[in-house]
Amino acid sequence: MTTSISTTAAARKSPLHKYWVILSTRTQEDMAYRANYVFGAIFRFLPLVTMIFLWFAVYAGRGMAPINGMTFKDMIVYNTLMYIARGFSSVPGTMSDISKDIKDGQLNRYLIKPMDYFGYQVMYRLAHKLVFWYIALLTFPFVFWFMSLSGHYFTHWPSFWEWLSFIVSLAIAFCIGIQFCFVIGTLAFWFLEISTFLFVVMMLEFFMSGQLIPLNILPQAMHRVLFLSPFGYEGYWPCMILMGKVPQDQLLPVLGRGLLWTGIFYGIVRMMWKAGLKRYSAVGG
Amino acid sequence: MADFKKYLRLTALMMKNCLVREMQFKANFLVRLFTEMMWLVMQFIYIGVMYGQTGQIAGWTLWEMVVLAGTNYVISQLFEALFYDNCMRLIDQIRQGDLDFNLVKPINTQFLVSLRYTDYASIVNSSVGIGVVLFALGKLGIGVTAGGMVLFAALVANSILIYYSILFILSVWTFWIGRSNNLMELYWQFGQFSRYPGEIYPWLLRRLLQTLIPMLIVSNVPAGVLIHKLQGGLILYGFTLGAVFLALTAWIWQAGLKHYRSASS
Repeated sequence: MTTSISTTAAARKSPLHKYWVILSTRTQEDMAYRANYVFGAIFRFLPLVTMIFLWFAVYAGRGMAPINGMTFKDMIVYNTLMYIARGFSSVPGTMSDISKDIKDGQLNRYLIKPMDYFGYQVMYRLAHKLVFWYIALLTFPFVFWFMSLSGHYFTHWPSFWEWLSFIVSLAIAFCIGIQFCFVIGTLAFWFLEISTFLFVVMMLEFFMSGQLIPLNILPQAMHRVLFLSPFGYEGYWPCMILMGKVPQDQLLPVLGRGLLWTGIFYGIVRMMWKAGLKRYSAVGG
Repeated sequence: MADFKKYLRLTALMMKNCLVREMQFKANFLVRLFTEMMWLVMQFIYIGVMYGQTGQIAGWTLWEMVVLAGTNYVISQLFEALFYDNCMRLIDQIRQGDLDFNLVKPINTQFLVSLRYTDYASIVNSSVGIGVVLFALGKLGIGVTAGGMVLFAALVANSILIYYSILFILSVWTFWIGRSNNLMELYWQFGQFSRYPGEIYPWLLRRLLQTLIPMLIVSNVPAGVLIHKLQGGLILYGFTLGAVFLALTAWIWQAGLKHYRSASS
């Protein structure tokens, strides 16, 4: 007669159950401080106000002529949609948390548990995003509704394929966002002090994802590199897809490159983790 | 008077203490210099791209805009040097009940928590901002008189106090709502308004940014003095506003203390 070695209820559940528990606990933890999120969700739109009037002044100065095919309204819609894209691709604190875990030897706590640290981080950040979107769904529609009412900024109604591609591109945005953070964070296995480096990387990401300025109005010479880089998927491409600025026959190639980058990053994540663990000294320092 | 001397001596002591700490981690100091500089560069790229598309924005030429951006940088760096960290720490102290240690000290607690830590990297950075302002003034062919310099310095100090008042009031909110890190984000969000000329905003918003949320007063007034782009009354108004805001902080601080639970949450 065989008896099961596992006796606790948790162990009998699916091997993925633990990730569900992480997700659920982390979500509850964040929900305890809802007010914090509500303030964030409301006030994060303030820069948009400056953005609208500043770009209006710029366009007014040139007789409202479009810049590289971007009209004034396009510019505003782009910056508004960027909030949605960043709501998926930005995972603040991930890079520094991971590098801190490695540097301080805190990683031990996770290594002895029968779970994957990368999986843990994904679930942890996904929980943040869930709470973020739970709150955002109360404020974002209002902002979009207000904007379409006040300025009729949204002139393009996306087709079915554009909606679908947009949703896929948001998933890509999250995958690239978190995997990139993980890759940079695990550099802490090799380098003790990487905070400057983290900062430079984050600035580059900020710029190359098109958050500062839409990539297509930057000097032509930079387009080729910027359009092929993985960072565009963290902001530029989701926005452009929903704005109908990506021709229908280009949707698949654009998404395909994004998925390719997701795969490449996954490979790098696994490689870095494996190589890094060999160097890991498991002590603080 | 004796009190004033005591507070002055304490300020000097705290600043010295921070300098000693700072010099123990010289690499970190350089990192901060570098990272803040990158932000400034980013902002100039942004301004550059915009002026690549048009010759003037709301009546401001490129170099006038650079004077504004530089002035704003000086102010925000000095504010961050003196008060920003302290306000962030205050939030944690209130939330975790660590304020007790400061409350028992025989000194004005608001003074202590507001000025305890100084960030020297930001002070050094502010000099870069001054360099930018001088360079842009040179490009505009505008000279600065001694009187103009003194007025500019006084207005910068006033703006720093206004920033402090706003952020301090936001941090003190923690007494009521428990965790307010996102509220502190407001500093960065409000900061956006001060980077550009008030002329870009419609009438109502512009008035709002000159009164309740005086982000246009903090940057536009000192910069306006330098490039002679200012209505006279605004200078006096700016100083009055600074005094009112500062008085407000003391009042809200007292009200907030009544809600202090001295426990972690």
